[in-house]
Amino acid sequence: MLKPFIVTGLAVGSLYALSGLGMLVLYRTTGVLNLAYGALGAMAALISWELIQQGTEQWPSYAVGVGAATAASLCYGGLLGPYLAERESVVKATASLGFALAILGVLNWYWTDDTRTLTLPTDTSGFDVVDVRVSTTQLIALALAVVVAVGTSVYLRASGTGTEMRALADDRELTSMLGVRVRRVEALAWGVSGALAGVSGLLLADLTQLTANSLTFLVIPALAACVVGRFRSLGWTLFGGLLVGVLEAVGTPYDWIADYRSAAPFVVAIVVVLYLQRHKTVTIGAAR
Amino acid sequence: MTTLTVAVRRRSAWRPAAGVLGVVALLVIVGFVVPAVFSVFWVRSFTTSAIYAIACAGVGLLYGRLGLVSLGQIALVGVGGWITLRLGYGTGLPYPILLLLAGAGTCVIGVMVGIPSLRLSGLNLAIVTLMFAGAFAIVFNATGFPNGGGGFLGRATGSVQRLALERPTLGRGDGGYFRYVLMVAALMFGLLALHVRSRPGRQWAAIRQSEAGALASGVDTTRSKLWALAVVSFTTGVAGGLLAANAGVLDPGNFGASESIVLFAVVLIGGAFSLLGGVLGGLLSQAFPSLLDEIGVNGNLILLVFGVGLVHAVSTAPQGIAGQLQGLAALVRRRVGALEDG
Repeated sequence: MLKPFIVTGLAVGSLYALSGLGMLVLYRTTGVLNLAYGALGAMAALISWELIQQGTEQWPSYAVGVGAATAASLCYGGLLGPYLAERESVVKATASLGFALAILGVLNWYWTDDTRTLTLPTDTSGFDVVDVRVSTTQLIALALAVVVAVGTSVYLRASGTGTEMRALADDRELTSMLGVRVRRVEALAWGVSGALAGVSGLLLADLTQLTANSLTFLVIPALAACVVGRFRSLGWTLFGGLLVGVLEAVGTPYDWIADYRSAAPFVVAIVVVLYLQRHKTVTIGAAR
Repeated sequence: MTTLTVAVRRRSAWRPAAGVLGVVALLVIVGFVVPAVFSVFWVRSFTTSAIYAIACAGVGLLYGRLGLVSLGQIALVGVGGWITLRLGYGTGLPYPILLLLAGAGTCVIGVMVGIPSLRLSGLNLAIVTLMFAGAFAIVFNATGFPNGGGGFLGRATGSVQRLALERPTLGRGDGGYFRYVLMVAALMFGLLALHVRSRPGRQWAAIRQSEAGALASGVDTTRSKLWALAVVSFTTGVAGGLLAANAGVLDPGNFGASESIVLFAVVLIGGAFSLLGGVLGGLLSQAFPSLLDEIGVNGNLILLVFGVGLVHAVSTAPQGIAGQLQGLAALVRRRVGALEDG
């Protein structure tokens, strides 16, 4: 009886994971936890929706939407990244909240807060697993999350740029002294994470609902995925996203919990944080 | 190292007393002039501004004094409001006692959320509190706020009559309630100021300078941070209680996660390092939208202003508007002093 909900949960969960991975790549490279991640996705989805309404072909519209999210992410990272590079990570995260508010304000102003629907062409096709229908969109979501998780791990470990990214995460100044073009590597990270934000925004708009507010706050389950991955592990982040998605979905058929199931990310994050501090070590911010 | 010079500077005994007298005089003037001069719309707007100023002062204290980022303060306002409404209908206790209970209950919830994340790094508190805000927004939407019904949730359904919580006897009218809120807000600000100026405040300052240094000089950093969280949760809960009695009912739509982020933004724009910043934050979050509304600007553009302001404050103007005002005052004082000397 729960099977269809598990399928929906896995599909939505893999998008949480995809968002989490995009945030994590950026965090591991630049130390910025981009809380405007969901807002970027909302922007991509709404721009694509608008273009389709005006009669543009579907695929070019999606490309423009994702491109806009990438450009916005690059702009923010390029303009403010160097400014904030030496600050604590919590300050960087706070600044990105401002970015999120600004995007949300513009989106709500231009498109109002009505619920819209975005239907991808992959929704209509699909196949049956045992007795549950799986749409191609859901399959794409899951496949994309797995591919990105595996691909990024390999890329960070094996490629030259990947090594530079890891070096950058350790010490920005030292890396720049070694001759790594810090700004260019950072720009790459901002661009890739912006594009991932756009793609996951589009898919989430299709699988859940298209409103600027709800998509903006999908950053919360993505954060929970990152917390499960302890802001380090790509594999655990993937698992965390799927876990949150499935937990959220399996609550649907039960009346007593259905209204509260969106609180799943909070519960998962709290449990993980409690587990992490079981050794009672106190993490101390570096003394400056 | 401005903090050090402030700590070392001698204060003559009468200065704080004169300051308190000045604030009381100012409050009395504001409390009677505002309702006399402004329309009901604006008096109500200033009332909510004063209520949100309490919440802002709490956010500012956590960020400015300790560097803690709490993104769930509006959820705590909601918790305080929920407790006030539920107990108000359920027990009929006098309003001041309701406020105290709301503060105490919110304090427990705030500390419970803080304990696990405070042991980890500062980023964890920001994340957990943001999720807390999201989770509580969902809970408030699902349960609604008590409106005089029975059961634990206190929801009236069907034909049961919906009630609104009565305002305290001292502040029935809009002007009276404005004065009542001002008085409670002043008490809450006083409580926070007292903490900042005494032992906990000095411990917080040590933590802000260097957590390792504070630990080495014998400060129990986790407990000290928790204490800050407890005090701020208490005042924030009281703010929730004031908000509940303002209209007598609360709307879950006003307690979303985005509201908590906006609150954080206005505090940083107003200035997180002083209580004046809290006042400015309250005005920015409540009176400023009313102002834009009156001149016909789309309400969503306020988010744009707050967002850009937050980025600006974080990256280049950590003192906020309050810091700039105080800088101006200091400049004027120096100039006047130079004139007198020369």
